[in-house]
This record gives sequence, structure tokens and C-alpha cells, in this order.
Amino acid sequence: MNDAVVSTHAPELTLSSLYRDHRSWLESWLRRRLGNAWDAADLSQDTFLRVLASAQPIAQMQEPRAYLVTVGKRLLVNFHQRRSLEQAYLQALANLPEACVPSPEQRWLVLETLQALDELLDGLPVLVRRAFLWSQLEGLGYREIAERLDVSERTVKRYMAQAYEHCLLVDL
Amino acid sequence: MARAAAQWLALLESGAATEHDHAALQHWRDSHPQHEQTWQKAQTLRQRFSALPQALAMASLDRPQPGRRAVLKRALGIAALVPTAWLVSRQLPIEVWRADLHTATGERKRIPLDDGGNLQLNTATAVDVDLAQRRITLVDGELALNLPGATAMTVQTRYGELSVSQADVCIRQQAAGCLVSVLKGAVQVRDRNGQVATLQGGQQAPLKAGGLGAWVPFDVSQLGWRDGVLTAQNQALGDFLRELERYRPGVLRWEPSLENLRVTGSFRLDDTDRILNLLASTLGLELQARTRYWVTLRKAMS
Repeated sequence: MNDAVVSTHAPELTLSSLYRDHRSWLESWLRRRLGNAWDAADLSQDTFLRVLASAQPIAQMQEPRAYLVTVGKRLLVNFHQRRSLEQAYLQALANLPEACVPSPEQRWLVLETLQALDELLDGLPVLVRRAFLWSQLEGLGYREIAERLDVSERTVKRYMAQAYEHCLLVDL
Repeated sequence: MARAAAQWLALLESGAATEHDHAALQHWRDSHPQHEQTWQKAQTLRQRFSALPQALAMASLDRPQPGRRAVLKRALGIAALVPTAWLVSRQLPIEVWRADLHTATGERKRIPLDDGGNLQLNTATAVDVDLAQRRITLVDGELALNLPGATAMTVQTRYGELSVSQADVCIRQQAAGCLVSVLKGAVQVRDRNGQVATLQGGQQAPLKAGGLGAWVPFDVSQLGWRDGVLTAQNQALGDFLRELERYRPGVLRWEPSLENLRVTGSFRLDDTDRILNLLASTLGLELQARTRYWVTLRKAMS
């Protein structure tokens, strides 16, 4: 009479069960933080893509929601950084004299490059980042940078080495 | 290896590298294929930077950063308002028949209408235009409408609507209400309670939730933005800067002691940096710019 075995193990997680069971929960979690549904839907898709691409085997995931939230948080921060970059970019575009405004395709290309570089520079201390930008974009010499930042030329050189190393360690 | 390459790059760009250094670098690059590969990667990086339009890239990448922790806090906080979607496509020219038009901070636009009139948008303004219905909705900001023709156009604001024909009018919408200034002709105003009143050329009146306020005569130079000019006549510096701020993205601050200095002059709105420089030199002030978007005015030390 006792031969019906009741398994105490939850059924093994797969990407499709993870997606089916948690997607709408994750989307509403994201929506509360973003304030709109379409960005939340985008970010939730991205979150699942990251999970799919990550090394962690889905089947062994203990707390799927906690894991999704960890990944989702990281994407949220990136999302806000992209936003603030776009905003600064649009304001800079609006400030250009009309004759200097690049064509629409050009605007996109520039924005894409800016986003990639912005991500690349992320995590650098503010002064290092600024010194590096002055050197790369404005072609300023170390002496000028040192004067502007009120530090020694030797420090500027150290900043540059730090920035280059940071960038070279990331895959371009 | 990245560290070694980075040290080389920093040395080369310092301008202090000797011939001996160059030879040593060449040796380093030749000594291992991965050294050369890292070196090439660095060159690619430099090219990506140098291919960018300088001013745009600098303003975008060197924007005032709230810092990672603040970003994280904001990212994880519950959004209080639906944030405006910042889409580049909204910046592109749009057909005028039925369109949502808007200007960014510091931008102004003039849109010719089919009947010889024209619509001008001041800084940070959004309107919906429906020419088939002859209706313009002022969502936010300030517009000027010059209509020589007899067919009326309706301008809808949050506080009521205006019927404009053979007239020149300017409407600025703010949180507390609109300011309606009629330059030429006459404009019919219908408030939210359905009360109708007429404003004549030379009259200016507030339109609020409670209706149209009493009119006063006004000075046309207040509306100089239509010609791209900001005019001040013996105006308090604080008032002038608050007005100027509308045209500048970013943060503009000044010492409280400067509030009541007097300003007189006409300034081109195209270049607000130049206005600030002019003010600084005529009033003996010092401009401190942390970045282009973070400017502080203070008394010059002498």
C-alpha cells in the first residue's frame, strides 16, 4: 500500500521553467524601479539572456529569484548610466550650432562609440578619467593636464598608465 | 602585460621618451606576439577616441557623474515618476501635419505654417500640432504663434485655451499657470471654467486654474527670445541668471551676495557661455567651471 513514492525534490530547473515561473515577477520588480513597462520588459529579457550566457548551471540554482535580482540590479545600474550618457550627449548636440550637427546616422554611430567607451572607462577614479579624456580627446600634454588638475606631471603620467591598463584589461 | 603596455604608452605620451626608450619599446613589442597584440589593441583604443567629434565626446564622457553608489541607489529605488524617454529619434525633423515637436534645453525652433504664419518654440518646449484640426497643444514650455490669416487656430494649455487669428501671441506655461502676452491683434481666452475674455495687443495676463487674471502692459523686449536675444534693463543679476538658466543644460550657481547686482544689455542666446563670460568681465566676477555643465559665479578675488 505504500509503494507510491513522493519525491521531496523540486523538479529540476530549466531555462524554460525559470522563464515561465519568474519572468512576470521579475518584470514587475523591474517596472517598480524603472517606472515604465517597456524598459522593464527589455531589461527582463536581457536578464534572462545573461543567465543563459553565464557559467552557473541553471539546474543547480538554489534561489532563482535572488539570482535573477542580482543580475537584474547590475543591468539596472548600466541602464541608468547609459541614460545619463544619452542625456549628456543630446544636450551637447542641442548646444551645437546647426551647421555642426552631424547627420542622423552619424549621431547614432557616435553614440554607440560613446557608450562603448563610457562602459570601458567605468570604474576609473574621476580625476584619472578626466586626465585621460583630456589627453585622448583634446590632445592636451601632460604639463597642461597637470596644471588644470593642480597635480604634478609625474602624477599625470601615473594616471595615464592607470587608465591605459584599465582599458587594456577589458576586451575591446 | 597590460601594465607594461600601459607604462610604455604613458611614457611615450609624456613627450619625455628618449631614442633609447623607443628602441626598448620596439624590442618589447618584438619579443612576444602577445606584446605586439596588446600594443595593437592600445592603438585601436586611441583611434576610437580620436575619431570622435571632440566637443560632443568631451561633454558626454566628462558629464558630472553622481558616483557609482548614487547611481546604484537611484537604480534600485522605486521610480516616483515615469521618466521621459530620451530617444534620439525625437530629435529628428518631423512632418508638421500632425506631430509632436519639442526642443531640448537651449534649443529654439521656428516652424513655418502653411497659411503664412509661423510657430516658434522656445527652450525645453513640447507641443502637439494638429493642423487638420487647427489645434496646437502646449504640453510644456513656451511658444510664440504669429498668424496673419483669418482662419483661427486653437492653442490648448493646461489652464484653458486660446483662439488665435490675425494675431501675434506668446504663451509661456509653468507649473503655476500660463503667462499670455499678445503682441498684435486680439486673442480670445477661454479658461477652464468656460469664462471667455479677450486680450488686446500690448496686454499681458496670467491664466491660471482660477481663470484669467488682470492684464498689465508689457515690454516687448521680454520676448526677445523670438529673435534669439535675452535683454535686461537694470535687472537684478539673480533674476537674469534664473532666466538664463532655462537655456543652459546643467547646473548654474552663484553666490547669494551677487543676487542684487544690476545687469543691462542684450545678449545673444546662441552662446550662453559667452553671456556668462561677458557678465563676469563687466561685473568683476569669477567663473568657475568644473565642467561645461557645472558653472559657479563668484566675486573675483582681488
